[in-house]
Amino acid sequence: MRTPYNASNILLPEHAENKQPAVEMDPVEYTLRKRLPRKLPKRRNDVYVNMKTDFRAQLARCQKLLEGGGHREICVHGLGLAINRAINIALQLQASSQGALQLAANTSTVELVDDLEPEDPDEAGEPMTRTRNNSAIHIKVFYPDPQ
Amino acid sequence: MSAAKVKMREKKMRNQPTSVQYPSSPLSVESSTQNGGDTPVTGGDVGDGPSDTHPSTERQKSSHHQSGWVRGHQKDGGSYAKEMPKYITAGGFARARAAEVSAMLKAVTKTTGSCHVSAALPKHMRRRAMSHNTKRLPYRLREVANRMRQKSLQAGSKKKKEQAKNKSRKARRRHGNLLLEFNRRQRKNVWLETHIWHAKRFHMVKKWGYCLGDRPTYKCYRPCYRAMSTHCLLQDLSYYCCIELQGEEDKLLAALSQLTNKETGPTFAAALCISGRRQGSVVMYRAGHYPLQPLGPVTFLWRPRTQGSSHRQLWIWAHPTIKQDLLPELQRVCQCCEAVVPPVVPVVTPAEVAPTPEPELKPPKTHGAIQISRTKRKRNCKDASGPPAKKILGDGSRSPTTPVTWRSSSTGIVINDLTMEIVRYRLIGPQSHSVLAETLEAATDCEEMNKSQPSPLWWPEHCKDESKMKLHQQQADIFHILKDIYSTGELPSGAVLGLAVDDPRLTLPTKKVKALPCVKQAQEVDEEKRRELMLRGVPEHCCQSFLWEQSVRDNVTDNKISEQELNRMRSDVLVPGSRLSPTPLQGRVPILLVHQPGKQVGHEMSSWGAGWDLLLPKGWGMAFWIPLVYRGVRIGGLNMSLKHSQNKGAPNFPHDYPDCPAGIGFQEEQEAELLDKFKRRPPAKRTNYIKHGCLAPFRCPWQQLAEEWELITSEGGEEQKRDSQTQTTTDADTVMEEEMTSHTAVTKPQSRFTVLRSRKSLRLLSGWCRPTTSKGQRPCRAGEVPPLDSSAMTSFLTEHGMSLVWVRLSLLSKGKPELHAMVFVPSTEDLKLLSNKSDSSGPQELAHKNHFKSRMKRRKKGSKKTATSSLSSDKTEGKGSDLPSASEPNLTTSSEDPKSSSESSTDLIFGLWPDPLPSITSHCSRVTLGWVTQGDFSLSAGCGEALGFVSVAGLVNTLLNQPKEHRGILLLRNPTSLHYRFAKINIEV
Repeated sequence: MRTPYNASNILLPEHAENKQPAVEMDPVEYTLRKRLPRKLPKRRNDVYVNMKTDFRAQLARCQKLLEGGGHREICVHGLGLAINRAINIALQLQASSQGALQLAANTSTVELVDDLEPEDPDEAGEPMTRTRNNSAIHIKVFYPDPQ
Repeated sequence: MSAAKVKMREKKMRNQPTSVQYPSSPLSVESSTQNGGDTPVTGGDVGDGPSDTHPSTERQKSSHHQSGWVRGHQKDGGSYAKEMPKYITAGGFARARAAEVSAMLKAVTKTTGSCHVSAALPKHMRRRAMSHNTKRLPYRLREVANRMRQKSLQAGSKKKKEQAKNKSRKARRRHGNLLLEFNRRQRKNVWLETHIWHAKRFHMVKKWGYCLGDRPTYKCYRPCYRAMSTHCLLQDLSYYCCIELQGEEDKLLAALSQLTNKETGPTFAAALCISGRRQGSVVMYRAGHYPLQPLGPVTFLWRPRTQGSSHRQLWIWAHPTIKQDLLPELQRVCQCCEAVVPPVVPVVTPAEVAPTPEPELKPPKTHGAIQISRTKRKRNCKDASGPPAKKILGDGSRSPTTPVTWRSSSTGIVINDLTMEIVRYRLIGPQSHSVLAETLEAATDCEEMNKSQPSPLWWPEHCKDESKMKLHQQQADIFHILKDIYSTGELPSGAVLGLAVDDPRLTLPTKKVKALPCVKQAQEVDEEKRRELMLRGVPEHCCQSFLWEQSVRDNVTDNKISEQELNRMRSDVLVPGSRLSPTPLQGRVPILLVHQPGKQVGHEMSSWGAGWDLLLPKGWGMAFWIPLVYRGVRIGGLNMSLKHSQNKGAPNFPHDYPDCPAGIGFQEEQEAELLDKFKRRPPAKRTNYIKHGCLAPFRCPWQQLAEEWELITSEGGEEQKRDSQTQTTTDADTVMEEEMTSHTAVTKPQSRFTVLRSRKSLRLLSGWCRPTTSKGQRPCRAGEVPPLDSSAMTSFLTEHGMSLVWVRLSLLSKGKPELHAMVFVPSTEDLKLLSNKSDSSGPQELAHKNHFKSRMKRRKKGSKKTATSSLSSDKTEGKGSDLPSASEPNLTTSSEDPKSSSESSTDLIFGLWPDPLPSITSHCSRVTLGWVTQGDFSLSAGCGEALGFVSVAGLVNTLLNQPKEHRGILLLRNPTSLHYRFAKINIEV
């Protein structure tokens, strides 16, 4: 059985601000294009946090899953800049439940792929790809077992 | 009296004697003949006698202008209002009456109106279906009725023979006849191989010489969008034309480099593309004319190099409207003018359908059945007289003698027109590769026993070659790795993979099931391979496919197992529904898979709409289509490809290429269509575009816009110069440049506008627009951009003063932009309004005055009074009155006197500005920048989004004058509305 905690596969759409041309490459020579992070099929109780959607909406979605959706646990995933927001959502959930919910956080490292496309006028340059790592967090928010 | 009434009356009076005509001349009053000798034109026999008593017959004749029966009181001719005669001549009176009576009698005996015998009967004697069965008539009328019926039957049958189909429906639907009929219908507009499938489910349109599906008949707008963004949408793009170029690599590149420019991005020579590992796309221009005269965008694919040979093969895929311009242009640059006339088409005899292995496999029970079926088929063949109908594969509208190949003796380049030779399907969506992985299976090896003997089929021959099989194994491995990938967007964009697959009909599921990715925890080795694939892409040798070979393509097409044959083989399988165990030898097809990058520009929704293109040899279209459909994909038509490009933020061909010949043609077509639709409404129910301040609701006068902005900037530059001279602070350089701009504006007023496609300039412009996220909440970090100031502006505009630029506008609040919505520059008050209350919906335009209303009215009156006045004088007058208004910069303030312009041009349509248009930039209270060519509520962004062009000169000017925090905020207004909406501009490179 696949667990959402085993790291490097579970990702969310990357946050928009990460997608700018990197400064360390010569902008004249190459254009940087970021590929989407690797995805896995998600279950109903997986929540991938991003920076585009409104915070309240994402929080409400988690609450709905826990209360109305009948899930005993949900997993909140955040990548890069969204880690902060994922933690924030988890803590808010816990605070609003008056101590009924518990948290279990896991961190991981995710490998991302960038494409570098040559822009040189003689068109002899080979395109390059490079990988870089980014941090991710996976927070399990759950009702503890009654015993 | 209306025309219809006159007609009715004529019909009624057809059989009436002409002698009784009531005179209505007032002149007859003075003479005594009113009661007796009234002799109308035709009544000579009566009026001869008493003519001595009244001498005024000539006068009567001349003044007699109204003849025939007149009912009721007449204004001018009513006789009883006049004086009564003093005396009556008895003889004349009696004669006149006698004539009347005789005419009356004559009229009574003749039948009027309908000549049917049955209608002559009184009502109580009429019976149902009397005209059908004459025996229901009274005996005395039967003979006449029979005669009449015969006559009508003859006439009817003659007419009927011309129209009706002489065959019964059953006969028409018989396979051979149906095929003939289909072939006849394909002669004018080419059908794709999936035509019948589409025609049952889609609204079909005839476009560009093809019959294409526009949109499904069922409601599926949102499901199709969801399919594109979460699962898979399938489209048949076979109507795209493929042009094959063969020759030495350097010669090909030298020829093609004339048609492209490196400023617009990587061209044919880009290293990755030329290796054949990647599909490239480029905008083509007429040779040496960049940036003028573009032809349109094409995609291209190089065949990977074969070892030790510099002979290359290149496919250029172009839209059918580009082809007619592109092909001559290619022939010119390649100096290929010798058309190779195709040989008289030899009737292709398909290799005998699996002759050897079949009988052994079959259980003896079915032998009889096969025998029967075979004999039956033979008999059928004998019965069929005349040429047997053959299904048209490929281009049916082309005559077989049209050359499709051109050769050059000097350069050795061969151009091949492969239109309709290759089927192209596009799968859009993140799951498209799992659909492919489920549908396709790498071709299975053929058994040892077949290898020994030569075969007419390509695959057994192929199996003999060890190196080819090794390659096939590698390609199959890569294809297997694809299954482990979750989303299509994770792959390197534009990757190409060649493959040979089994006939997908063999693995057709019994039920439609949605293909889902099955991502499992892969082993270390697989994981490593996957990583390799993601980083490096498909290795070069694996991009090779036998689809490139003409001979293999033809072989595969000719030897396809027919549906019928396949079903028969299926029915012979012992366990129903199980797979045919040894795959029939013909069932191996070479294919090519080409990855389509999704949204690549901009900062958001990256790789949205990525997918795969599936290239097949012709004839196999339906064999792959149905299996794909059975994997739960949605099917989209032309409408969806428009939405796809809209969500990608990419211009769609030919809608958004106003500078290409195809784009210009499309615009004219669209205008005619919209105008026609507009005119179909009654004037009172039309949108009054004059009142809405919309000059051209159905088209976009780009040329005029570019010219006007050029003028405005040059004027502005001069003013600035004057200012700077008074202040004496500017350095000489800018002054010089400004002078140059004004000069260029003067010297080339008639040069056509261009669309800005140079990457460098676009990037600069994009940086100046202060790029933000789609709704304009957060700024995006862009690379360092030189700050926007007047000197930068002038140097930019010297290059691109007459250009338009493709922009994306996202509405900040409510609103849904529509086609041909206008883009405006907000005034400073508007921007203040925006910063004061952020949720303000935008300013309003005051309703314009319809100056043409009175003119319209007068024209209506005039047309009533005088039938058709001198048109030519009207026209000149109308033009004379319009021209000054056109030259005036501001029409709303200048009181254009409608009285002075007596009559407008004849084609004045209510609610539309007549040509020529006045100044478009200053027509409304805000200055116009451009128009929207695609606008809709964007489901991906969650707000109204519009794509269109704005004038570069106008845009840079506006940006320069806007404060930093509001830079890039524009106004958008629909042609049917007076409400301006705020929108954020984004130029995506």
